[in-house]
Amino acid sequence: MTVNAQENFFTDKTALVTGSSRGIGRAIALGFARAGSNVVVNHSKAEGGSKRKADEVCREIEARGRRALAVPADIGVKSSVNEMIEAVCDWSGRLDFLVLNAARAPFKPIEKLLEREIRQLVEINYMGNIFCIQKALRLLEAAEGKIIFISSLGSRFYNPSYPLGSMKAAMETVVRDCAQSLAPRRICVNAVCGGMVKTDSFKVLRQHMEEIEHIPDELCVSPDALADVVIFLCSPAARGICGQTIVVDNGLSNSLYRPAWGSKPEIRKRG
Amino acid sequence: MNQNLIAEQKVLEEVRKAVSEGIDIDPARIEPESSLMKDLGAESLDFLDINYRLEQTFGIKMARRSVLDHMEELFGEETAVDSEGRLTEKAARILSMRYDGSGSVISAGMDMDDLPAMVTVGSIAEMVMNLLDTLPENCTGCGAQSWTLKEETLIECGSCGEPAAFTNGDDLIEAWLKQIQESKKIF
Repeated sequence: MTVNAQENFFTDKTALVTGSSRGIGRAIALGFARAGSNVVVNHSKAEGGSKRKADEVCREIEARGRRALAVPADIGVKSSVNEMIEAVCDWSGRLDFLVLNAARAPFKPIEKLLEREIRQLVEINYMGNIFCIQKALRLLEAAEGKIIFISSLGSRFYNPSYPLGSMKAAMETVVRDCAQSLAPRRICVNAVCGGMVKTDSFKVLRQHMEEIEHIPDELCVSPDALADVVIFLCSPAARGICGQTIVVDNGLSNSLYRPAWGSKPEIRKRG
Repeated sequence: MNQNLIAEQKVLEEVRKAVSEGIDIDPARIEPESSLMKDLGAESLDFLDINYRLEQTFGIKMARRSVLDHMEELFGEETAVDSEGRLTEKAARILSMRYDGSGSVISAGMDMDDLPAMVTVGSIAEMVMNLLDTLPENCTGCGAQSWTLKEETLIECGSCGEPAAFTNGDDLIEAWLKQIQESKKIF
């Protein structure tokens, strides 16, 4: 079947995007709605700012004529993930696209992490994603679904005070692993690795990486640019892509030579 | 040294401006005693945005880590927060000293997630004042002793134009904790 013959491919399908009340997750949730799917918007806390923002995303999805459901769940807690997937099943009866976007981590050097911070780092950013995959398998298998993990350049390059990078690297390996082990069940697994994305998290990054301000806008990437690649990977057009991590960074990681940076005196003086 | 170039009122005015822009709310709603989270609806990421704005305004570096983080780094894990995420008796004692007079009631057993709600516009202004008060006697660039004010909030050397080098927020917290430990032997 050609891609054109499936132009309504996304219509009435269901996507679950973890951590989608803001930032990249929000852009992906809205991307699915634009494509025609109904969307489950996962957020971390049942009350407060994350709930308010998730409700806003749901309203935006509904304004596009799609159904939306906000589900609070702490991804690092298995029972909470189970309840979330059950809520998806009750609401929609199906799950076609699982996007593993939720992440939370302290910003400090690895040698300064407390034991509880290391446990949280692994629970939320590694174990939680695997809980989601395990619990969603039955629904995804029934739908011949897709799993997309949202990674970052921290998986392969050093960033100061960014222990999350190590979890992103681990998850990229999980993507390669699951792509093979779940292929016989017709579930396709890939990842999208974002470069410098100016979301709310940028506010944190710029406190730890002062030079980040010097990265020119043309080397930053918008949340929508990542969302578009996620939607592409979920579409029939990407049927030949399996177990890959697609870097979406406007070329930031492609070149060591940056003449524009060299002209900045505050960078030059560092040699 | 205690700087006297930027008045407390000016600091409070700039903090209100940063809060208003950071959370995108009407400045008229912002009082010194307003809790950023409870009264103004701020989220944790908004704190970083507000800090960043204040850093740009005053040329200072706000603390990246909380007092509790520093306590555990200095005195060991679970000295400040127990395995249930609750404040220890020692941490409650130290925080009560730190926020003495703020009107906040801090007690052992409190959920650490409840602490950010205690941050008020006034307490942020006090943090900024504390950092500004670390202004060195002499310019680290030329050694001159003539600080001047640029654009009403940035202190620079009147002789060579070098921006003032203040102690950063994390170092200030660490020094304070060490001093408390030295005098009170809490841990």
